[in-house]
Amino acid sequence: MAPALQASGIVKRYGPLLANDGIDLDVARGEVHAVMGENGAGKSTLMSILYGMQAPDGGTIRLDGVAVRFRSPAEAIAHGLGMVHQAFKLFSSLTVWENIVYGREPRRGPFIDGAAARRAAVALAERYGLAVDPGALVARLSVGVRQRVEILKALYREARVLILDEPTAVLTPPERDVLFAVLRRLVVDGRSVIFVTHKLDEVLAISDRVTVLRAGRVAARMTTRETSAREIVRAMTGRVVADRPDRVSMPQGAALLHAEAITVRGDGRVLVADANLSVNGGEVVGIAGVAGNGQTELVEALVGLRAVASGRVQVNGRDVTQSDVAARREAGLAYIPEDRAAVGTAPTASAADNLAMGFHRRPPLRRGWKLDGTAVRDWARRLIARFDIRIGSERTPVATLSGGNMQKVVLARELSHAAPVLIAEQPTRGLDVGAAEFVHGELLAERARGRAVLLVSAELSEVMALSDRVLVMFGGRIIADLPAAQADEERLGLLMAGRPGVAA
Amino acid sequence: MSLPPRVPSVVLAVGFAVVAGAVLVAASGGDPLAAYWQIAVGALAPDNLPNTLNWAVPLTGMALAVAIPLRGGMVNLGGDGQLVLGGLVAALVPLYLPLPGVLSMFAAILAAALVAGLYAALAAWGEVRHGVPMLISSLLLSYPAMGLASYLSGFPLRDRSSGLPQTVMIPPDARLPPLGDVLNVGAFAILVIAIAVVVFDRRSVVGYELRLRGLNPRFARYGGIALGRQAVATMFASGGIAGLTGATIVLGAQFRFTDGALVTPNYTWSGLMAALLAGGEPVGTIGAALFFAALQTGGFAMQRETAVPRVLTMVLQALVILFLAARHGLRRRAAP
Ligand SMILES: Nc1ncnc2c1ncn2[C@@H]1O[C@H](COP(=O)(O)OP(=O)(O)OP(=O)(O)O)[C@@H](O)[C@H]1O
Ligand SMILES: [Mg+2]
Repeated sequence: MAPALQASGIVKRYGPLLANDGIDLDVARGEVHAVMGENGAGKSTLMSILYGMQAPDGGTIRLDGVAVRFRSPAEAIAHGLGMVHQAFKLFSSLTVWENIVYGREPRRGPFIDGAAARRAAVALAERYGLAVDPGALVARLSVGVRQRVEILKALYREARVLILDEPTAVLTPPERDVLFAVLRRLVVDGRSVIFVTHKLDEVLAISDRVTVLRAGRVAARMTTRETSAREIVRAMTGRVVADRPDRVSMPQGAALLHAEAITVRGDGRVLVADANLSVNGGEVVGIAGVAGNGQTELVEALVGLRAVASGRVQVNGRDVTQSDVAARREAGLAYIPEDRAAVGTAPTASAADNLAMGFHRRPPLRRGWKLDGTAVRDWARRLIARFDIRIGSERTPVATLSGGNMQKVVLARELSHAAPVLIAEQPTRGLDVGAAEFVHGELLAERARGRAVLLVSAELSEVMALSDRVLVMFGGRIIADLPAAQADEERLGLLMAGRPGVAA
Repeated sequence: MSLPPRVPSVVLAVGFAVVAGAVLVAASGGDPLAAYWQIAVGALAPDNLPNTLNWAVPLTGMALAVAIPLRGGMVNLGGDGQLVLGGLVAALVPLYLPLPGVLSMFAAILAAALVAGLYAALAAWGEVRHGVPMLISSLLLSYPAMGLASYLSGFPLRDRSSGLPQTVMIPPDARLPPLGDVLNVGAFAILVIAIAVVVFDRRSVVGYELRLRGLNPRFARYGGIALGRQAVATMFASGGIAGLTGATIVLGAQFRFTDGALVTPNYTWSGLMAALLAGGEPVGTIGAALFFAALQTGGFAMQRETAVPRVLTMVLQALVILFLAARHGLRRRAAP
């Protein structure tokens, strides 16, 4: 039987850069096929070609043995492809069922048959065990549920091959388990899934086969049952990646970041309630919690991007409660924000412009009223080299970078502030194994230099491995403050679900 | 460091507009080639060039006044009010502030820029402090300013010997010295401003901060740029340039403030179009302003020499913008 999807010799050039250099990929019916590779290896490029978003410079695509050529995603959808992007494309002011049937509504005469559409949505959701409320407004849904809506939307259009590009980056562990259960049902149903991810444990858990890309070429094809994490990593990087660095015990210094009774209100709700925290020099404090429980708002209040209703913030011994972002940064705060494209960079600006931000008001970049162009360029080149950012030149807009390399731009800039306090929100989201290890190493190096690190991460393993203490947020409150030794996965899981009584 | 210029799409838009304009002329029974020829001659023949430049000076000033905030993603629609305030102040200072000649001229220019700048900054302050969108407030603030100027020049400060609502003539030694037959020293002032804007945009810390705000305001805020203060300062500079433009017209050409004389030529709106055409990038804005000035001056000649009315040039201007916007809109839809 012909493979459900077979791509051969796919080539894609961006100027001098060969993003895809003759890639062959075949995906059988009823399999989960993982695609792995370092940041910038060409995974997203390949997926966008399969889905008709970009035209390849060479190569052919066959579906069930028939050659196809898509000029748009609409054509790909018509041929039974579906894709769930990392940045969801839903209408947030519409309901779940409206989003699911959008563009293919069941009709009665000239009108949309709402009842039939709802029924169809419910039936589909039940069939694959995707729990959603069809009448809910998308704007109110958590990320995990939004993703389910995206999947339902693809299934409603009868997708036989479903492409998921880093679908678990934004999910909590329970949400991820639900997703995997859904994927299993899909393949039992004879559909195929292409699964792009950086997470080895997920690949081992869910996939049947793995295709590993390196620098735009296929580096290896493996059957999951017969391979190991170590082998996949070797294929991706061409070397053996060091294990997670050890957290040697450190003498702790004074409290460098200190927040007292922080309360944040917004949309008529209390988003953060009476939060207290303190991070000492030489300490990593992790904040665990399901996304949307006030972590983002708390961090924004700490860095000065969001007004507090009450409370006090101290950075490096200075009270900065009344200060703006610039003054807090001046006092000694660096910040890696959760959303690199919306907050952490200006994607259409060059890497040099992005890397200069925050350094542009002091020498050597600033000279009197002038911004020294040469200094800006040299500074950018230094950081690009030091952090191994894969980019054409410092003049390249960061929007063209792969997800991981864009994150490195943010990291490079914020880590070079050498600020006493570093707040890192989801710092390894979307990074490949090697890059994630690099970031972990850098965070621990900050700690070893006697700096204070506040780490917010949805990734429990990351929080547990790096933190000296773990705080858990639920419903806007910090409901637990545990030393590392007591923070095991089970206990944190219960706390994150808001059940401190059981966890104690 | 700066973005690549969007030259190809601009050239294409101009090309489309020229073709569409030709169709329009032909459809109404005119000869498109003759019309375009007259525009070119009327704008660029050696005898006419000074006129074109004279028209280009205030247009460039007003274009820069829009381009500066636009670079940071802000829109100043209050150019008319700021231009008029500048012109009014420039006329009143030499008349009512007893200063010796040249000093009076400099004081008039400075005061004009200052008053108009503060007035524009008011719109930014309203947005920062009270959340009134600047797009609206800058436009609305224009009307009281023009109303005040109209009242003052029409009643308390009116030149009784004249039939028009206008002030008396300012003393000759407070006027901007002429340069040749048509131009005056005001052209130098705008040239210096234009160079300064380009240099600041490319080389300065404030230019960098403004540009990055335009590209992503959330990133700028995250990086420590105080958006509120920046908005007020930017609008002050923008209004100041508009006011200075008004001052150069009053002190260099009209020698008095006449109600309506500054707004009828539509410098503000042509300037806005020039700035939009270049997306706020200063060099492009200046180029577009010169282009529009040539088009409009040529339009007068065309109207004189052929039966085609001058409106055609305004239509062309609008079409260029429209085609450009359509192209960008289309491209955005094709690559989300
Ligand atoms: N529009 C573009 N213009 C120029 N270069 C591009 C463009 N899109 C991608 N690239 C380059 O192509 C290469 C492959 O990018 P791609 O996004 O496919 O990587 P990826 O494997 O998905 O990486 P990541 O894991 O970081 O998401 C990168 O070097 C990237 O910079
Ligand atoms: Mg990618």
